[in-house]
Amino acid sequence: MNSDLGRLLAAVDFCDPVIDAYKKDIDRTLLRENLKLSVDDRFQKFERFLEYVYELQEAGRRARSSG
Amino acid sequence: MGPNFREILPLLARNQVRFILIGGGAAIAHGSAKITYDVDVAYARDPENIRSLVKALDPYAPYLRGAPAGLPFRFDEATVQAGLNFTLTTALGDLDLLGEVTGGGTHEQLLPYSQEMEIFGLKCRVVSLEKLIQLKRAAGRPKDLEALAELQALLEERSKLES
Repeated sequence: MNSDLGRLLAAVDFCDPVIDAYKKDIDRTLLRENLKLSVDDRFQKFERFLEYVYELQEAGRRARSSG
Repeated sequence: MGPNFREILPLLARNQVRFILIGGGAAIAHGSAKITYDVDVAYARDPENIRSLVKALDPYAPYLRGAPAGLPFRFDEATVQAGLNFTLTTALGDLDLLGEVTGGGTHEQLLPYSQEMEIFGLKCRVVSLEKLIQLKRAAGRPKDLEALAELQALLEERSKLES
């Protein structure tokens, strides 16, 4: 193992209590589902989600403008 | 306008631009469920690659993101050569071009930590999940803490699948 790779692996294993605290709230079922998908499918899923976000934003704008 | 991976990545690949997908796009490629708002790539800074990059983006009116309209900004080879990192808006969506990445260095330095993936039918290089974690950590931005936690969880889940 070269020294660069060693440093990289060491960094990945590095424990940070702040990150660990955030990790508790990560929805791992979502990650497991994504890992089953192909890379293309992951991007397509992201695009669908983004469209949904835009629709929500638009609906919010419409609601605000109609008072 | 959001990140347009579907058009920007194939555009760069078709024009033989040497780049590595980093940032939120790389996270999605590895299985992240987080949203991202731009396409981030580390590009090679040799003259030939800069020429290809400029040629690829020129039809899409690249302009400095957040800058007032009407500045004498020209996205040409001289500009890219004189600069390093560019945060751009284009007709296809927002694009960050990084000649050097905090914690990761240049395109050439990142290359050993990248892998080829097929995205939208074209082969693209994507930074490895391990290196992406290191880059996020090196960036040291508070907004990345949650993303970092997710990437580490992703790495753990992937390791479980592989073992």
